[in-house]
Amino acid sequence: MIHLLAFLLYVGAFSLWIHFLVKGSRGEGPTFASAIAGAAVVVHAIALGDYWIRYGELPLVGPGAALSSLAFVGGLALLATIPLREAARVGIALLPFITICLGIAMILGIEPSPLTVDFQGVGFVLHVTFAFFGYQGLALAFAAGILYLIQHHELKSKRLGRFFRFIPPLATLDLLGRVGVWAGFAMLSLALGLGWAWTTANRGSLEVGDPKVIWALLSWFIFVAIIVARRGSGRTDYRGAMAAVIGFAVVICSYLALRLTVGGAGLFL
Amino acid sequence: MPIAVVGVSHHTAPVEVRERMAFSDSDAARALMTLRSRTGIEEAVLLSTCNRTEVYLYPVLGPECMQAVQSLFAEKAVGLERSAEEYLFHREGESVVRHLFGVSAGLDSMVTGEAEIQGQVREAYHRSAGTGEEPALTGPVLNRLFQTALAVGGQIRAETSINEGTASVASVAVELARKIFGQLREKRILILGAGATAELMVEALAREGVRGVLVANRTYSRAEDLAERLEGRAIPIERLTDGLPQADIILASTAAPHPVLTGQRFREAFPNGRHRPLLIIDIAIPRDVEPGVGDADGVFLYNVDDLRKIVDEHVELRSEAIPAANRIIDDRWREFRSWYASREVVPVIRRMREQAEVHRAAELERLFGSLDTLDPEERGRVEEFSRRLLNKLLHDPTVRLRKGMARGGGAELVDAVRFLYGIEDRQSSPPHTEPERADREPRRQGERAPRPTRNPQHGVVE
Repeated sequence: MIHLLAFLLYVGAFSLWIHFLVKGSRGEGPTFASAIAGAAVVVHAIALGDYWIRYGELPLVGPGAALSSLAFVGGLALLATIPLREAARVGIALLPFITICLGIAMILGIEPSPLTVDFQGVGFVLHVTFAFFGYQGLALAFAAGILYLIQHHELKSKRLGRFFRFIPPLATLDLLGRVGVWAGFAMLSLALGLGWAWTTANRGSLEVGDPKVIWALLSWFIFVAIIVARRGSGRTDYRGAMAAVIGFAVVICSYLALRLTVGGAGLFL
Repeated sequence: MPIAVVGVSHHTAPVEVRERMAFSDSDAARALMTLRSRTGIEEAVLLSTCNRTEVYLYPVLGPECMQAVQSLFAEKAVGLERSAEEYLFHREGESVVRHLFGVSAGLDSMVTGEAEIQGQVREAYHRSAGTGEEPALTGPVLNRLFQTALAVGGQIRAETSINEGTASVASVAVELARKIFGQLREKRILILGAGATAELMVEALAREGVRGVLVANRTYSRAEDLAERLEGRAIPIERLTDGLPQADIILASTAAPHPVLTGQRFREAFPNGRHRPLLIIDIAIPRDVEPGVGDADGVFLYNVDDLRKIVDEHVELRSEAIPAANRIIDDRWREFRSWYASREVVPVIRRMREQAEVHRAAELERLFGSLDTLDPEERGRVEEFSRRLLNKLLHDPTVRLRKGMARGGGAELVDAVRFLYGIEDRQSSPPHTEPERADREPRRQGERAPRPTRNPQHGVVE
């Protein structure tokens, strides 16, 4: 029930952003939308806390619980943008991902997995949490990147309509993209490092055939590709935005492909 | 009211055409002198800005006047695909007054309520009014019209919200810069040309934190003057290629007849491409920056027409003030119409009084001839009586005639007075209503009294 309320608040915040995009965003309207998004994150935190109290474990295992936590981390990333001028408007591109994750989680059922996990304890919590932050960093870079490309197109084509007025400045979006990519890369690296350390310690070697490992390594290399795109000469900001959008799409598509082919009904998210 | 305006504006012609039809100061003076020598036009003002080139004329006595004006534009339009006439608009009569009032108030501007147009109208008027050494191209009618238009512009800006919000060319530039750079602190700006508009834009950007101003101008001393005022640095225009890589924003507003920033020059400045975004605002007519420069990666090039796309929202914000502004224009338009009409009635009243005075003097002479016993004191009393009687008799008709003219239906009244008092249709002396100029300075060389002539083709012919 609390999850449903959080979901509705996320949808409400997204709807407000859409409204401000279509009708224009003057006065205190955008602040109100940010407040709704903030309220959604708070309610979501209460829902996850309720899960922890109810089941005696953190909502990290099982597709439903893990997706809800992943969405919550996305909400935290959105909240972190609020201090930057107009940056919270990136929510218009980030909230759909958050909402879809939470929606699927609610459909699947947010409850503990019946399967037993070998990797447990603080190391496991950190591993999964770092991974969630890593993926949400990429999602943030994607959201900033797609808005960057739209704003860039508006400025280049001199259309300067609703999107121009609504979307944050290019420099702000570039900053969000950079922070998202670097923070995400650092977090995913830590998550991979912890996973690699546990696997080699307990199972002798990294299980490269495991779909989780394949996906994680692919994601890590995509981060590397985005970072490379952001370096060198020329318009690194534009290339970085483009790379983040493509990279995120590849990560999502590869997840779906692995989940549908070799993932099975295991603990792969 | 035989007054007319002919020209092009952003409503009728794209920037490519307007830049061809723009007049420099010297061109404008020469064109107006030519126009006056070829036609019966006595007064003319040429307003040439980036959004419009308009010629105001008085009196317009026939189609040959209009043809002469159109030929001025046609000379400028050589090489265009379409003829000049297809881009021209044309108004005659009282609608010209309303048009100029609207222009001065910024109601006809690309950015509604923008402030720059007021100064441009003032400059155009002062140029035509003469500097003392050159003959004046304006006379009582255009003097009054432009002075009233400037007053109307000031009144509308003071009494309505027409200039509220960020809807000037300068503020639009600031908005564009914000959408590209976010915070403008520490951004560097390069100014091409040392004009007043560029200075206004830089001041607006400086308020947002833009620092590091470079000024490049063909006349280096002017670049130095502007750089000093803006606490920046001047560079010779020949070293523009060195200055370009330092800039985040370029404001181009030179009066050069050809592009100053060409694609080749840009490639020389950035042989490996541009790494950071670059905003170029080109408000010059003709354009200072070759359109191809805008195709480069990271370059956002806007000319005056492009700015039109940004103003829609501002127009919406300011449109609420338009009804109030139009009410002011209506009032001042009626005042002007009354003033103009009074120009016709004053000579008639004067003739009526002169004629009555002649009769009075003749009758007195006859009376005194038959009453030679009157002493000087008694003669004085009789003379005083006759003068007061005459004034009493003429007072009401004079007042009613003036009121009738002020209501706008006075032409018939004037004709009736002429008929009743047997006044010939001649005006040997200029009317007294020339308050601003007549009070301050003598008529200049080249000025002639207007000959109000009715034109049957009143109204908008656009």
